[in-house]
Amino acid sequence: MIELDGIALRIGGRPLLSEVNAQVDNGEFIALLGPNGVGKTTLLRAICGLHPIDRGTILLDGAPSHDLSMLERARRVAFVTGDEVLLDALSVREVVSIGRFPYHRWWQWQESERDEDAIAAALEAVHMASFAQRLFSTLSAGERQRVWIALGLAQSTPILLLDEPTSHLDVRVAHEILALLRRLAANGKSVVCALHDLNEAAAYADRIALLGDGTLLALCEPTALLGGSLLERVYGIGMELVRLPGGRLRVFAG
Amino acid sequence: MKPTLKIIALVALVPACGAASLLVGSTPISPVQIAQQLAHPHVPGVLNDIVWQLRLPRVCIAAVVGASLALAGAMLQGMLRNPLVDPYLTGVSAAAAAAIAIAVIAGVAASATPAIGFVAGLAAALLVAALARRGGGIDPNRLILAGVSLSTLFAAVVTLVIIGAQSQGYASTILAWLAGSMAGRGWHDLAGIAPYAGVGGLLALASISPLNALRVGELRARAVGLDVARAQWLILGASSLLAASSVALAGLVGFIGLIVPHFSRRIVGSDARALLPACIAIGAALCMVADTVCRRIVAPAELPIGVLLAIIGVPVFLYLYLRPASGAARSSGL
Repeated sequence: MIELDGIALRIGGRPLLSEVNAQVDNGEFIALLGPNGVGKTTLLRAICGLHPIDRGTILLDGAPSHDLSMLERARRVAFVTGDEVLLDALSVREVVSIGRFPYHRWWQWQESERDEDAIAAALEAVHMASFAQRLFSTLSAGERQRVWIALGLAQSTPILLLDEPTSHLDVRVAHEILALLRRLAANGKSVVCALHDLNEAAAYADRIALLGDGTLLALCEPTALLGGSLLERVYGIGMELVRLPGGRLRVFAG
Repeated sequence: MKPTLKIIALVALVPACGAASLLVGSTPISPVQIAQQLAHPHVPGVLNDIVWQLRLPRVCIAAVVGASLALAGAMLQGMLRNPLVDPYLTGVSAAAAAAIAIAVIAGVAASATPAIGFVAGLAAALLVAALARRGGGIDPNRLILAGVSLSTLFAAVVTLVIIGAQSQGYASTILAWLAGSMAGRGWHDLAGIAPYAGVGGLLALASISPLNALRVGELRARAVGLDVARAQWLILGASSLLAASSVALAGLVGFIGLIVPHFSRRIVGSDARALLPACIAIGAALCMVADTVCRRIVAPAELPIGVLLAIIGVPVFLYLYLRPASGAARSSGL
């Protein structure tokens, strides 16, 4: 569970977000939406301790984040980002095994049985078990994204944060990843995922968190958000709402 | 071959190369005689003196120098995620060279120069680290810029001192030190420096897990709980101690700290649990062999080890890395 109470964030000295209050329950999948530069990535980084907070309190499963050591925090929350780095020499399994870092002291270099199980389960969850010995550098963008998610899963945390995991991916791979996140939430994880595609968010998330005007404007079920005018105001563009025969909603901009 | 077997094979190289080095010298000594002298360290005699006071300390110094430089190079390359980095990046060698050059023309006793080089090298590393400081950690780009800038400044000082020293006849002494050599070094020098190299080695052990986490980038390493700032200071401290120890023992021995980590990565991969032991073994073995060749190739004179390593090593390195990549080479990521 994540609880945000009066969070304010700065970036480069200027205020970015203020008065962000939210609660994400166990087993819930939250899609984090908002225009470019509104603070989605920074908020995710702040939740997992990678960006300082200016004011407010973050509770991770009931514990104040600032009271946790970096290792303790990494055992509660995993952060998945798609930023590219050179990893030429690493196999897929080696990348995923780094997710076990929080469970080792500096002199504990050997993987335990629990580590091996967690790595195998993480690879299995993203359907990359057969790629374990492949070089990371030889993977496609979608496969790499799944490996980064597996790294986060190997951390065995109750909270999973993801920064635009479907960007640059084709429709099928994006669907697979979102369906995977949906399953992870169904199994009890708190999943918060920054997305750009409103329809992806509406189709998979339990609730949508909308950032705009320097704060959290809404945290509600997709139907409640898609039907109103708030999205048009935040994105500054007209939107048309279409209800499909099955009852699902689709939004089209313009 | 499994990584563990590869490490065992590489570690076995060290005593093998050490034994071979002990056999080579101006006085022919058979393997049996060497073994007898090693088994009886306190028996008076010429052979005992040659083995225990001349050859063995030199072999040990070569091993420490090679292992230290290779280890420091691997750690800095891993921390900065830059394969072009070598242990002298932090200005250790340039500052030591400048300090020793000044000490030589100032008439400081030769026995004091290793200590002067060590202190100056470590001080330069601290200065570079202070200049590269950002927040609580170290900015890799600032570290490289500060290291290169200060090294250039110290190199200019060395050049000035050499120009001035020519008239006083000291230039050859300074140049010999700059070219790197273990000639004239003994147990006393090793005993003075070994504790610092030992501390550097222990800090390197503590750097294994951080180095592995840093392989996926600084941001992800922080996300899995690594205190990156603390890891950077740890790695920088360890590599500076190791590089300064090496400079104090043998002057400027280039090439090993840059190239051995590359070769080691080709053999055992980039996992620091295997990479660091492999660097220690290959660095020690290479330095022992090179020093032995330097002692004999133009006997009774000696070739500077840095010169030999560059003449032989650079073409080999270029051949290995500029030829079309094989499957194994590609998989090493180099």
